[in-house]
Amino acid sequence: MDFDLSVITEHWRFLASGIGITLVLSAVSGATSIAVGFVVALLRLYGPRWLRPIVVLYIDSMRAIPVLVVLVWTFFALPILTGLTMPPFFSALIGLTVHLAAYVAEIVRAGVESVRPGQTRASLALGMSRAQIVRRIILPQAIVRMLPAFGSLLSITIKDTAIASVIAVPELMRQSETLAGQSFQPIEVYTFAMLVYFVILFPVTRGVDMFYRRVAHLGRS
Amino acid sequence: MSFDWSVVWQHREALLAATGMTIALTVATMAIALPCGLIVAALRLYGWAPVRAAATAYVELFRNLPLILVVYWAFYVLPISTGLGLSPLATGLAALALNVTAYNAETFRAGINSLRRGQTEAAMALGMSRTQALRRVLVPQALRRVLPVLASTWVSLFKDTSLVSVIAVSELAYVSMQIRSQSYRVLEMLTAMAAIYWLLGYPQAKLVDWIQRRFAVTE
Repeated sequence: MDFDLSVITEHWRFLASGIGITLVLSAVSGATSIAVGFVVALLRLYGPRWLRPIVVLYIDSMRAIPVLVVLVWTFFALPILTGLTMPPFFSALIGLTVHLAAYVAEIVRAGVESVRPGQTRASLALGMSRAQIVRRIILPQAIVRMLPAFGSLLSITIKDTAIASVIAVPELMRQSETLAGQSFQPIEVYTFAMLVYFVILFPVTRGVDMFYRRVAHLGRS
Repeated sequence: MSFDWSVVWQHREALLAATGMTIALTVATMAIALPCGLIVAALRLYGWAPVRAAATAYVELFRNLPLILVVYWAFYVLPISTGLGLSPLATGLAALALNVTAYNAETFRAGINSLRRGQTEAAMALGMSRTQALRRVLVPQALRRVLPVLASTWVSLFKDTSLVSVIAVSELAYVSMQIRSQSYRVLEMLTAMAAIYWLLGYPQAKLVDWIQRRFAVTE
């Protein structure tokens, strides 16, 4: 089995643009998922009573449907329904956010519920309002406790962006597929892609773990 | 904008067979990945140092790769490196099993490590051998902690089987998208696909919640 790396060096710009899009899509969809997920979790915990079953249905549905299905649906079916066509990148961003926000909401809920109820009672006794308690007492502790889960969420986000290749987002997975097809050297190209994903993902998981160990004491009460 | 949902009913047999394939893939992968995961975890915990390093490298590698890439890689590399002409189904199964085995190995290792050291020491003090301590004391307790994690791995696996559609394994996602491109009923077929996944996946997600409440470890 010959291993000819010239295909990588010759097309490094093509692959690098894919890596760039993978990183941008991961960062942007990670940020939007966290923002949307926080809102969803707060609605579930403190929102109007009639809204809660709907929020729970949304969260559990996203846990039941594969992200591939969500992405393909957003890209192919949503434009038929709305009449708006979107570039693949935005479809991927919407699909990933809708999917991952449900996971974020579960992480946030678990973090908030891990703060003992005595803390809420103590704050009420001090005359704080509900909003003040959430903002000043519960979230500062809960966010620290959520960090390890957010670390694995970030790595899931990066891995899920590879699935956006199915709707032709020119990220690393898609670029590798194209290059592997054109060069007839799938082994070199896919092995290189594996290496790149590992080099991106491994430090992310490790880095978040290390950061958490440093700040874990802030979440204790 | 007019929708024609009869296309879904017309292809009910194909969709049913594809759903069966999705379930069969999930079951087969887990059947391989449970014993293999246990072996890898044991090698990682009790193996000879180089074996331990190799097992750790395998687990870390596959936990840090997107599954869709592993599927493509297996599709192109397995036939060349092994010289076997594997069918897409066998390739997809191999890729899924490689991935889930790594996750299961980590689950088992964490389950065994979560037990306090005193348990092994107490078992040894009672005159048990290492194997006896493992079989009678550690594994029964670890199973309780491991079961909820295995249950959520199961649901992830059920969803991840959709990724082998990229190498034309005729499971639910692949078959639905094939019918979509033949019939041009895009919205109907994709919605039907999502609905079938939802119908199967939703009870599983709820079951996982129940298992997690039922087996929650309180110390």
